[in-house]
Amino acid sequence: MGGFFRRSSVYMPFLAIVTAFVLGGAVIWVTSGSLDTVFLAYEGLLRGALFKERGLSESLVATIPYIMLSLGIAVGFKAGLFNIGVEGQFYIGAISAAWMGASLQGAPAIVHLPLTVLAGAAGGAAWAAIPAFLKARTGAHEVITTIMMNYIAFRLTEFLISGPLRDPNAAAVQTPRIAPSAELWSLHAVPDRLQDPLNALLTALIFAGVAFVIARWALPRLARRRPDAGRAARLTSPPVQAGVAVVAGVLAFVMLPALTRLGWPFTDQYDRLHTGLFVAVAAAAAVWWLLWKTTIGFELRTVGANPSAARYAGVSITRNIMLGMSISGALAGMAGMMEVLGVSICRCLPLFFSSGYGFDAIAISLLARNDPLGILLSSFLFGAMRNGADLMELTSGVSKYIISLLQALLLLFVAAPPIVRWLYRLRAPGGREESATVTRGWGGQA
Amino acid sequence: MKTATVGPAGSRVSFRNQGWITVVVVVAGLFGAWVLLNAVIGGRCDQACVVGSLAQALRLATPIAFAAFCGVMCERAGVVDIGIEGKMLMSAMTCYAINLFGFQLLKDAIGAEAAGSFSRILAVCLGAGSALLLALLHAVVSIRFKVDQIISGTVINILAIGVTGFMYRAFLAENLPAGPGTFPILNIPLLADIPVIGPILFQQKPLTYVMLLLAFVAHYVLFFTPWGLRTRAVGEHPRAADTLGINVFRTRYVNVLAGGLIAGLGGAWFTLEAVDVFNPLMTNGLGFIGLAAMIFGKWYPFGALAGALIFGLGSSVTSTVSIFRPDIPSQIPQMLPYILTIIVLTGVVGRAIPPAADGQPYEK
Repeated sequence: MGGFFRRSSVYMPFLAIVTAFVLGGAVIWVTSGSLDTVFLAYEGLLRGALFKERGLSESLVATIPYIMLSLGIAVGFKAGLFNIGVEGQFYIGAISAAWMGASLQGAPAIVHLPLTVLAGAAGGAAWAAIPAFLKARTGAHEVITTIMMNYIAFRLTEFLISGPLRDPNAAAVQTPRIAPSAELWSLHAVPDRLQDPLNALLTALIFAGVAFVIARWALPRLARRRPDAGRAARLTSPPVQAGVAVVAGVLAFVMLPALTRLGWPFTDQYDRLHTGLFVAVAAAAAVWWLLWKTTIGFELRTVGANPSAARYAGVSITRNIMLGMSISGALAGMAGMMEVLGVSICRCLPLFFSSGYGFDAIAISLLARNDPLGILLSSFLFGAMRNGADLMELTSGVSKYIISLLQALLLLFVAAPPIVRWLYRLRAPGGREESATVTRGWGGQA
Repeated sequence: MKTATVGPAGSRVSFRNQGWITVVVVVAGLFGAWVLLNAVIGGRCDQACVVGSLAQALRLATPIAFAAFCGVMCERAGVVDIGIEGKMLMSAMTCYAINLFGFQLLKDAIGAEAAGSFSRILAVCLGAGSALLLALLHAVVSIRFKVDQIISGTVINILAIGVTGFMYRAFLAENLPAGPGTFPILNIPLLADIPVIGPILFQQKPLTYVMLLLAFVAHYVLFFTPWGLRTRAVGEHPRAADTLGINVFRTRYVNVLAGGLIAGLGGAWFTLEAVDVFNPLMTNGLGFIGLAAMIFGKWYPFGALAGALIFGLGSSVTSTVSIFRPDIPSQIPQMLPYILTIIVLTGVVGRAIPPAADGQPYEK
């Protein structure tokens, strides 16, 4: 355990968090004029984030988009791209999903839900592909182009919501309510949803897919322990893996509706936590697998680490810039999609819809050093802070915007490890530290 | 333009050769904009409307030009600064607060009129000072600690959003006393009476004049003083400059800090000239547009000014359009400056070569 904490990738983020909270406390102390307020505020923050009614689940609701967006940024970073445009891609994903969810009324969920998810991802990916194309073709730096694309995305969604996509029947300016078949299920609604055989089939297909992936991973490892070569070969053969998937799918189809009827931990119908949580965790696993276990990921990371070496090795820079940015945008678009399909109360996209998730996500992926597991944890930290802030403001009178100050300080400390090391008189770890390099000249040069 | 050939970054394209092309493009662009404007609004932009639009273009170009000058100062010394947006936001907030509360403290002591002028000037100074602090942070993090400059700039931006958002909620959102308002229009004696040119150039608010002066000052400093020569050497080839005994770190520090002051003036424009309120995020990406203007101007102060004027004209024309044609959804013309920025960055308007060491931390 001691060794674990001695790793700089573990203690540095930890020290950064502590330092940010201490400095934030100092700011509260100075602005409010009493030390008690500091403890009152942090106590309220903790209670609001975890212990009040639905506190934990609301924190998780905020965690979901953070996970998706920071995964998007992390994929970009690994490919040497600084995608500040996740916020805009989030908006475009949200509006695409709102449009797809409201059209195709009457289609069954097994068709409609995947299509809507796909629409969100495709919207985000397409929006990110524009700056990627410009970077690959003309060298226009993605930091400025993606920020400009953010502003264009804000205006574009505003225009679409108040014009072409406006719901003519609603008093408020918003898009039409999406069809129930396109909704991401709230956790409390899962037992009811599963009563529909088609929904159960959709779930069974997902279970079968997950089982297939696990079988492909686990069976060869089991086979290696078998002394009998013949049986080992049978265990690793594709039909066996497919068989495991089919069995899991059939079991899920038959058992799940009944099982969730019998006992289901989520009964509170005001709870907003939705199945997107599983999607986000699965996305983290998928990103980890893609980046570290596939050729595509290897090429992306090569282009990110050393473009000239990548070009020398015959890796296409253009293709990987496009690919990395599109994956990044797709993840961000899915975050927007989930906000519309799973969280928004009107199950639509209202005109004054603001997230601010995108900029926080930059801090999260830097804090996690682009590691998917770290992203899950840091996203929860940020989700909890965002959710706890309301109660903190209520109990202590400290403005909830102190949270953005805390997060900015945190970002400063994680982005500049030398500052923290200097504060705590720590020595730099041996060897060259991995740090992101994104400054590679401006636009206008190929 | 004798000095221009000394100039830019590995200067294969010198300012002198490009000069007349730029002039032709600008004139054609102006005429094209006028024709387009008339087509959209139906032939109603007479002389008064043209003069009004141009005066407004200069007004709207002011913050963009300040941002671009900040960029020029930093990047000529080899430091990329994308934190201009954050510095402007911070300065805008500080200016608003100082202007408001300074006025409250002073108005009984020295009278409303004098208190107003005094608090506005104090606000400009402290606003620029607040931007200077952020610039100092950027300098320390990126020059001393050698953190990637884009990351450091992003940190500055997010920090500024956090601090200004917090201060806004805590002190500036409600129950505000009446403040002294923005700077009044300052007519330059005699010059303001010249027909056409007078109303465009010489009936502006003070920061706009400061901006125009600064273009000359920055050009003089960069191309006619030893300091400017050192700055450009550090931006092009810091190792060579170091060998010649130029202190690379000191040069970069001073330029980044000077850039911070300039960005602070740009921030002051928002709350001391444009409107008498502060809103979170009110800088609306103008800092980034300023960087595009800088690239458009090929890292020359006058080029950057020209770029800023084009963006200013773009915004001015779109606002004229939305007055005459309320039926066009306002969001569509509002997208134009951002689209224009992307087009500039893609190099359609001529390839730009940045200072050779732009963005690279110097390892001694």
